[in-house]
Amino acid sequence: MTNSPVHRRTVLGGAAAFAAGWALAGCSDSGDGDAPRERAKGQKIQLTFWSWVPGIDKPVDLWNRKHPEVQVKVEKVSAVNGAQYAKMHAAIKAGNPPDLGQIEFPVLPGFLLDDGLLDLAPLGAARHKDKFVGWQWQQAVFGRSIYAVPQASGPMGLFVRQDLFDAWEVDTPRTWDEYEAAARAVRKKGAWIETFAPTNGNRFAGLAWQAGARWYATHDDTWIVHIDDEPTRRVADYWESLVARKLVKTIPDRQNAWYKDLQTGAIPAWVGASWGDALLAGNAPGTKGTWRAAPLPQWKAGEQAFANWGGSTTAVFAKARYPKDALDFAVWLNTAPESIALLIDGGYGFPSAKKGYATTDLDVDKDFFGGQAYSRVFAAAGAHVDTSWRWGPGVDTLYQRLGDAFTDALADGSSFRSALAAVQRQTLDDLKGKGLKVASGG
Amino acid sequence: MSRATPSRPEPAARKRARGAGGSGPRRPSRTRARHARAAAGFVLPFLALFGLCFLAPLGYALHQSLQKTERTGPLGLGREHESFAGLANYAQALSDDRFLAGFGRVLLFGAVQIPLMIVLATVLALLLESASARGIAFFRTAFFLPYGVPGVIASILWGFLYVPGISPLVKIADSLGLHVDFLSRGTVLWSLANIVTWQFTGYNMLVLIAQLKAVPGELYEAARIDGASARQVARYVKIPLIRPALVLTGVFSIIGTLQLFAEPMVLRPLASSIDSGYTPNLHAYSEAFVGNNPQVAAAEAVLLALVACALSFGFLRLAGGPAGERR
Repeated sequence: MTNSPVHRRTVLGGAAAFAAGWALAGCSDSGDGDAPRERAKGQKIQLTFWSWVPGIDKPVDLWNRKHPEVQVKVEKVSAVNGAQYAKMHAAIKAGNPPDLGQIEFPVLPGFLLDDGLLDLAPLGAARHKDKFVGWQWQQAVFGRSIYAVPQASGPMGLFVRQDLFDAWEVDTPRTWDEYEAAARAVRKKGAWIETFAPTNGNRFAGLAWQAGARWYATHDDTWIVHIDDEPTRRVADYWESLVARKLVKTIPDRQNAWYKDLQTGAIPAWVGASWGDALLAGNAPGTKGTWRAAPLPQWKAGEQAFANWGGSTTAVFAKARYPKDALDFAVWLNTAPESIALLIDGGYGFPSAKKGYATTDLDVDKDFFGGQAYSRVFAAAGAHVDTSWRWGPGVDTLYQRLGDAFTDALADGSSFRSALAAVQRQTLDDLKGKGLKVASGG
Repeated sequence: MSRATPSRPEPAARKRARGAGGSGPRRPSRTRARHARAAAGFVLPFLALFGLCFLAPLGYALHQSLQKTERTGPLGLGREHESFAGLANYAQALSDDRFLAGFGRVLLFGAVQIPLMIVLATVLALLLESASARGIAFFRTAFFLPYGVPGVIASILWGFLYVPGISPLVKIADSLGLHVDFLSRGTVLWSLANIVTWQFTGYNMLVLIAQLKAVPGELYEAARIDGASARQVARYVKIPLIRPALVLTGVFSIIGTLQLFAEPMVLRPLASSIDSGYTPNLHAYSEAFVGNNPQVAAAEAVLLALVACALSFGFLRLAGGPAGERR
């Protein structure tokens, strides 16, 4: 905890500022202070930017030095359990969102339901399209509107403790069948190959994506939802059988107990994504040099099916006062080579920009991976990500429902398939409850 | 309990006080007006804050709970507007198994944790107020200290003591051959109860001590002259006399239990056994800030308030109430 203790005076000051802010907000509501406008030549403005990406302040500082008239102020938001989106939705509702925000691909449609984001197409955003990887640009395109500038993606892969796998004479699995065999072999040595974290909807979505699932589609003005399609069922069955045979743990991932298991080798592998390099290096520094990255195991030997976990955009909120400048900043942040270099240092993921970096630039933690040029693994995966996957509205709720359903299934021993069926039903209800036209796929 | 009456002003004394405060009988209407104005001046800040911070949000929540969002345009991505929904949000909340399960859970929690905590607080208060107690100031502060730790911080601290692989408690138990899991589905509710008990026992103890201090010393003296032992004094004099305080702590604890939020919220990332609707408050939070359905969340909050009201007043009636006890 790096927070300084809160003193009474700070609290009182905060209360006073709150009261003052309230009074000011009351004033600005009646006027046209919120209307978007063009910046006059030489006018100095400040844009606020909500983000949680580590090291994001560095490229922003660089921008601020280069653009004295358009100052961008980063306000860090918590990314624990989706707290940042709760905050953004609340701010939209309250009418005081920031100018720019960091929003991940899956939750973008949810913000459109709120009228929360600004359509960048009228500002000529389309001319930047070719600077970005095609499918990632498309993630923010709905109809003729463009709602965000892609920043980074997270091609999935497999991280393994090579030293332990070698000592135990376990080969790095190339298929999911081999992965299961490896899980058995690791279990014989007293360790667990992995954890199937029931509440990690993001990763489960990625695994379903790899298997060929299509959770969302659109038909005319109707959303088609298909959570329990055949590929997703296959993934659910697979993990259910690993759990049932006690070949994987079921603790939550990315929290202290999991980090501890990584540090001690009690868990020697992780189906993760490209941004996992910083996560592993930061939380298990003692295992430096022992990790390697490998391609995600395949359902059929020799296939090249990959998926994406994470990845985010820089979006401009609907109430942004200087939309043009906000767009300029968003494009610069995600395409300028000097900005990308700083973002890579911070560990932000795989760039959405096509140019401005070399794959080897991304090997930030090369020593941690024993000198492996591990980013090539993820670059190759990224090139084969199934790009027809689409996200729909209400993904946060979907993840929560999935987490609750898998948690229930683990507790009462019911099947993962019935969990999927329940989530499918609930998701249709949720979207209907939001006033959307929905239909079940399949 | 005629002892309580001297604290009430005698009618004669009250009359005298009123006479002394006024400026004479000659201009009574103006005086009264001035008095009314003064009274209004004193009450107004309270009423303003009460209206702004209590009544207005309450009214807004009630209003929200009766609304629904409708969306138009292609794929519903066009404009949204709110319309009257009747009791649809309430129906949705009441047909949500997870929401109802949350109620069952906090009721179980309260049925076990509240009596336990109040008994513990009473025992500690009686011990610290007994004639033979030593180091009273130190122990009183030590027992009260956890209340000074915010609930979130307390939960983080206890989280470290619960998580396997990090927790020294789990490690010690392991070395003794016991395999404990504080965060499993069966145990996590009691792990939460432990945090709440740790936090609030000292606070309740202090409330009880305050009431014990208000008991006139001659009562103890009389009991002792009558030959009562220390235990009998506690049983037949002290506990009946602090009954109003016990009722008060009981009501506070019932309300606090129904509103359980911070502890499960903080432990959630550590324990997959805590789902998104573990307590009614957590469910409402998830509806509002994850599902982005503030209207359903408002309905759930109103239902929660109703249950809290019913249980608090039900308990007061059952216990006779602090006011009834005086007579």
